[in-house]
Amino acid sequence: MSDDPDARSRGFLKAGLLVGPATAMAVAFLVVPLVLLFRYSLNQYDATLLMVEALTWENYVTFLQDSYYRQVLWVTVLVAASCTLICLLFGMPIAYRLARMRSRWKSAAMLLVIIPLFIGGAVRTVGWMILFSRGGMLDSIVSKISPGTHFELMYTPWAVILGLVSIILPFVILTLQSVFESIDVRLEEAASGLGASPARAQWHIVLPLAMRGVITGGTLSFILCMNAYGTPVLLGGPRFEMMAPLLYYEFSSNNNWPFAAALAFILMASTFTLTTLAPFLVPKRYRL
Amino acid sequence: MTCDTQSQSATGATRRSFMIGAAALAMPAILGRNAFAQGGGEVVIGVSGGDYGRLVAENIDDLVLKPQGIKVIQDQGDEPFRVAKVIAARDQPKGTLDILQAEATACYRLADAGLLETLDETNVPNIKYVLPHLRTNFMVPQIYSPQVLVYNQQLVDKPPTSLSDMLDPKYKGKFGISAQNALHLITASSLNKTGSASDFEAAKPLVQQFIANGLRLYPQPDAIAAALKSGEITVSLMWLARKNLWRKSGLPFDAAFPKEGCMLFINAMAVPKSAPNKANAFKYLNAVLEPAAQVGFAKNMGYLPTSSETKLEGEVAEQLKLPDPAPKMILPDFPYLAKTQNAMNDWWKKAIR
Repeated sequence: MSDDPDARSRGFLKAGLLVGPATAMAVAFLVVPLVLLFRYSLNQYDATLLMVEALTWENYVTFLQDSYYRQVLWVTVLVAASCTLICLLFGMPIAYRLARMRSRWKSAAMLLVIIPLFIGGAVRTVGWMILFSRGGMLDSIVSKISPGTHFELMYTPWAVILGLVSIILPFVILTLQSVFESIDVRLEEAASGLGASPARAQWHIVLPLAMRGVITGGTLSFILCMNAYGTPVLLGGPRFEMMAPLLYYEFSSNNNWPFAAALAFILMASTFTLTTLAPFLVPKRYRL
Repeated sequence: MTCDTQSQSATGATRRSFMIGAAALAMPAILGRNAFAQGGGEVVIGVSGGDYGRLVAENIDDLVLKPQGIKVIQDQGDEPFRVAKVIAARDQPKGTLDILQAEATACYRLADAGLLETLDETNVPNIKYVLPHLRTNFMVPQIYSPQVLVYNQQLVDKPPTSLSDMLDPKYKGKFGISAQNALHLITASSLNKTGSASDFEAAKPLVQQFIANGLRLYPQPDAIAAALKSGEITVSLMWLARKNLWRKSGLPFDAAFPKEGCMLFINAMAVPKSAPNKANAFKYLNAVLEPAAQVGFAKNMGYLPTSSETKLEGEVAEQLKLPDPAPKMILPDFPYLAKTQNAMNDWWKKAIR
């Protein structure tokens, strides 16, 4: 690093030129629409005029006062948290095994994790629909084993959780795998040499070192689940409400753009707050 | 500004030279557009895609508009987005759509907000042939279908005669609808209870009884066919046109017309006030009512024609024949729906939980 002030300012200029276009794009295509959306959320809805210019918090107040909307947000958080937990529980052993794999099958195993990402989320959800629906594979097996009974998983919260986990698990595995790769295997060997069982070494050595990856994977999973639309609509059915489908319902069926905009901001704010606060559940020394 | 001018001069790229260059580049497109405009110009229709969009292109655009030299551009998308485009163009001198295709109630709401052109014989001559019970001054009904009780013939011994039959314990958990038809279930319930489709309060208890009797809900109308086929449900409240399509594909479904009457589903087209090519938009609506265009939809989608000039023949006429005596057909009470629709939607989404 040079101490020459001119060289330093030229460096800043270069950096500015490099990040400038991306920043301009983000401002134009993300910040400006968000500002506009927030402005809409302060407007009023009118059955005839549809949207009336105003400066009021009434859409936010309606959300907070109506237990129905609060319940929808609660269900959304619960589903997102459940999916995140399941993804971490299933993703960690798979990611660890992949990271420590030294055989020639490692590439094939990695490919197995990546292949589902080649197929769109909606297409995979339709696959679940075929599996879960009446007359589908699971129902047929149950009906064969016990004639007259049916396996009803379609249009239940469990179907939504399973569908979301199937979409998000590869992302979590890939995130965790790269973190486990970066942990020196000699640390585990040292722990073993000092008499620690494999489980103890995992708990006291590997997991704390992988905590940053766990937090990143968990955050990624939580954000994707909070904003899920297709899976809750297709697998949860009309009786199961999450925030994103509710928002679309207000926009499309009721033409209530101000309230839909307020719901969008509430969803964004809830996701942001929870993902910011969640890492604090982890002891500080593991967060670094 | 001086610096800008200097730097531009240095590279020889002045604003004037840029404009000249841009105009030269755009010239073929401008000339081509004018040449086409002399032949009849263009018209943009906001329309749903899929089979419907294809049929619109085949039976209206190519069949009637193309010979007139009018180029039709389809702006395909879901109805909420098409409606949103009309609303968004409210404060602009020109919008992006010349024609909006939407369900009749959505058209009424836009007309009520003052966003649609008034239609009559002067701008759409064929409107005089629209069946009297479908005629309004804000939309051209393109196709329509009565709402009936569609049932699986192999699973229902005695066809139902009324919507309230669905409260019978034998239909517990066996009656289902598409969530998109929730509003239509409420209006049909009102019709059943009061003889009028405009009493939301009277409809509520009946809808609650359906819910208590295990009313099943499906996200899309297509899911109803699978549910009826598998026996998950045995009866659904659905458009007759859907039953015709399902029947055509070999499914053992039939329709019962409720004795209290059938609510009508109307797929309509309207001209937004912000339409840039209004003259062609009116020509398009006129074309929609041409018998040749109407027959295509009856044949391919099982919907009934809206023009008295359209005569169905042969197999299509047989398939779409209504029972004798003709069932009561009830046009939705648009002003009432516009006023209460959001309250109904809000009540519904809480009632089904």
